[in-house]
Formats: sequence, C-alpha cells, structure tokens
Amino acid sequence: MEHRAFSRILSEPRSVRWIWFVYLLLYAIAIPWYWPEGYIGPTLMGFPLWVAVTLSAIVGLACWTVFVIYFFWQTSEEEEA
Amino acid sequence: MGGGDIVFGTGALVAVGLYLVSMIGVGYYARGKRETNSMADFYLAGRSLGLLVLFLTLYATQYSGNTLFGYTGKTYRIGFEWTVSILFMFSIIVGYLLYAPRLVVLARAEGFITPGDYISFRFKSKALTLLSTIMMIYALCNYTLAQLKAMGAAVEGITQGAVPSAYGIIALAIIMVIYETLGGMRSVAWTDVIQGVVLLVGFALLVMIVPTQLGGGLDAVVEKLREIDPTKVQVPDGNGSNTWISYVLLLGCGAAIYPQAIQRLYASRSLQVLKRSLMLMAFMPLTTTLIALICGLTAIVVLPGLESVETDQVLARILAMVMAQSTLGYWLVVVVFAAALAALMSTADSALLSISSMFTRDIYLPYIKPGSSEEHLTHVGKAFSWLAVALLVGVAIGTEKTLVRLLELKFEVLIQVVPCFFFGLYWKKLSGRVALGGMVAGLLVALFLTLSGNRLPFGFHAGVWGLFVNASVCLLGTLLVSEKTEN
Repeated sequence: MEHRAFSRILSEPRSVRWIWFVYLLLYAIAIPWYWPEGYIGPTLMGFPLWVAVTLSAIVGLACWTVFVIYFFWQTSEEEEA
Repeated sequence: MGGGDIVFGTGALVAVGLYLVSMIGVGYYARGKRETNSMADFYLAGRSLGLLVLFLTLYATQYSGNTLFGYTGKTYRIGFEWTVSILFMFSIIVGYLLYAPRLVVLARAEGFITPGDYISFRFKSKALTLLSTIMMIYALCNYTLAQLKAMGAAVEGITQGAVPSAYGIIALAIIMVIYETLGGMRSVAWTDVIQGVVLLVGFALLVMIVPTQLGGGLDAVVEKLREIDPTKVQVPDGNGSNTWISYVLLLGCGAAIYPQAIQRLYASRSLQVLKRSLMLMAFMPLTTTLIALICGLTAIVVLPGLESVETDQVLARILAMVMAQSTLGYWLVVVVFAAALAALMSTADSALLSISSMFTRDIYLPYIKPGSSEEHLTHVGKAFSWLAVALLVGVAIGTEKTLVRLLELKFEVLIQVVPCFFFGLYWKKLSGRVALGGMVAGLLVALFLTLSGNRLPFGFHAGVWGLFVNASVCLLGTLLVSEKTEN
C-alpha cells in the first residue's frame, strides 16, 4: 500500500534482502535438522551438544536482530524524537 | 498450581494479599494521571509509554502463566525438544520486523487505536474488519481463559484447598478488572512494570534454586536424564524438525500480531523507545523460557512418573520441595509464587483491555451505536470489561484442558489474520475481497484439520497449513485481479 507517512521511513529491514539471508542461515543452524537420528553428543556447559549449538544460534539471532533494528530501521528525525 | 503441596502460612498469604491490593492502588494512581476522556488516552495511555514501561509491559504481557506452568509441563513431557520454545519466543521479534516499521508510522498518522482500525483503513471492507476482529477476540478470550484457570489452581494450591479454585479465579479477576477499568492502559502498563520486575526476579530465583538444590546442578540433571530417559535428551527426528519450523511460523507470526502487542506498538512515546524495547525483548527468551526449560528438565529427574494434566503441575510440585528445605526456601517460593501471579495477571489484564477496545471500537461503534462520543465509548468499554470477565470466569470455572493445548488452539485462528498485516502493508494490489477469501479459506483448513484430529500433518500445525492456503489465496487472487484489471 502507499501512504504519505511512509515517506518518513528512511530504511526498513524488510526491504534489505541480505538481512533475511543471514536470518535464514542462523535459523538453519538453530533448528536441529542436520544431526544424525537419535544424536545426543557430549555435554557442553550442561547442555547436550545439539542444544548448545541451538542456544548459541539463538544468541546469534538476538544479536543480529539488535544490529538490524539499530542500523536498518530508520525514520526521519521527527519520528525518532 | 494444582499440585496442592504448596501451603503458605499467614505471613506469606498477607504478603501476597498486599501485593495484589497494591495493584488496585496503582489503578487509582493511573486514574489520576489521565489527561482526557478519549479512547486513545484510556486504551493507549495517550501514546506516552517510555522505555522502561514499554519494555516491561511488553515483557510481562508476552511471558504468561503458560511460560511458567505450561512450558515446564511440556518440557517434562518431551524433554530437550522443547528448546524450540526459546526459538519461537525469540521469533516474535522477527515477526515485528516484518510489519511494524510501516504500521507504526501509519498508526501515528491516522490515529489507530485497535488492529481493526488498520484493517478497516487499509482494506475498506466491513466484512474483513468484522471477521478479523471476531477472530482476534476469540483468540484473546481463549488466552485469558487459560490465565484465569491457572490463577484458580494457584490459589487453591497455596491455601491447601481452603480457598477453592473458583473463588481464587473470581477474586483475582475482580482485582484485575478493577485496576483495569480505573486507569485503562496506564494501569495495565504500570502494574506490568511491577509484575515484570517480580517476574524477572522470580525466574532468576528459579534458575538459582531449582537445578542446583534439587537436581545437583544442570550437568547432573542431564547426566541422570541420559540414564533414565535418553529420548528426552536426543535430537528431534525428521518430523520433529518440521514441528520446530511450524512453531517458529505459528508463534513468530501469530504472537507478533496479538492485538495487545499491536496496541503496545501504537502506545510507545516514540519510535526510538519502541526500537530499544524490541532490542531488549530479543534477549528475554534466554532469561525466561530457557529457565522454564531447565526447571522442567529438573522435574523429570526429581519427580518421575507424572502423567497427563499432572505434568502441568510440575513447577508447583518442585517449588513445594524447595519450600520444605529451609525458611529461606520458603520465602523464595513466596516470591516465585508472586511472580507466577504476576505472569498470569499481566497477560490476562492486557488481553482483557484489548478485547474491550476491539468490542467498543470495531463492533459497538460501527454496528450498535454509530456516532457515539469518545467518552461514551470509553464508558461502554469499561462496562464491557466487567461483562467479559464475568463470562470468562464462568467458562474458566467449568472447563478442563491442559494449558499448552489451549495455547495452540488460539494460534490456529489468530494466525489467519497475519496476511492482512504482513502482505497488506506492502502489497498495493491486495484487495479486501481477496484478503477475506484467504482468511476464510485458511480458517476452514485450520479448523477442519483441528476438528478431524489431524493437528500436525507432516509435523506442521493445522494453523500453519491454514496460513499456507490463506497466503496462497492472497497471492493468486492478487495476481488474477491485477491481470484482469490490466486486460
């Protein structure tokens, strides 16, 4: 849709494609589809390896989201005030 | 907390009682702070929420009683596979990124109060606005119901049945509706600040006490779990991964368009405040949902053999064990219990306020009394809150289901409104008629699969299949309509 208010948006995450490729990559790591069936693995910081990898990917996703919001969600100054 | 094993002494009951009464005090204070009798002032706190209040109200609203009781219970049933809960709670923030930048500037420019205001403005379709409003109200009623039932069980538990569940539900619902009708969003958001802090403290205490005192540390818990039930430590199978993707879609999309969440986006003082709040929220699953997971895992080891509805009571039961160990443990459990009530009430009051605003603005104003003044609508909204609470309390007292099942049924419906936001804000050519067609088709598929008992075909939730059909109708319908117009 179109609206005059949208002219205040200087950048928004949805329109930057590579942001979503990084999300896709991090989600692909977080979702445990690539481990062998029935895998548990060694314990890392109290968690089975596959859970530790998933949790690390979630931390990565959260950090990435902060970066995206900070740098790619921008509106003109009057909105930010 | 229907375990029935946590019993509070007079001192603890008085402390919890004072905490609850203080909520009404906050309501009175919020009432004094109102600036006008407008709907924007009552339902959006005059669009004035600053960083601390907005962050804590988003947090306390998003993390419900279900996070404490339902998620520990689900972990007890399926083990580490429920790590998905941390991922899907995070995904809600990604969901916001897909539509909030545009909705927020549009809402400020056009003065939206409810999600229905946006749908009506964007699609100019009364049928679409009405159907989506009814679906959102249905989903929120279901959500509030789950919170009320958990409140009743909690009160019955700490008083060892002296106060039956029904009385607990009634008493807490009355406290909630009093402070809500006194100050609207200001009351709800300010009580959320207290409730959010109590909730954070409660979760911090849980992670310090439960795995170490009861299970001998997380390492020992996982080691023991590997011995007694390795399936709960193993990686999920193929369909299990599909279910993870499904949960991410169901919650990431569905919870991002919760009406009470959308109204918090509208209510922020500035975009900067909203962005900072969302940055903080991105990390909250790691301080909340992860702790619920660890408590559920500890419960498998220390309380083996529970089944069915009993599993939603595991947190109450492990708290009872902590309580029995020392005086310090006793008072720590009192704080955790206050956190549980905070989680339940903060979610229920926000949902209730949204239900009231949507009924007043999107149903009463256009269909029952067009041309009503803002003051009249605010009064109607308050009266409707009491009526809605009375009805929900009645239903809560007379139904039996586990908490997570209630949550899933709610999202099957709510998620069908997603294309109106995710596509509607970006696709110029998506018409109201096509969006309505998609919504009806998606809803029918989700309901058919749910009612036929086939709720997870190929590991994907019925609501996600419905959303797929819904989105396909929107895409194909938009392409066909544009082609026709061009010809």
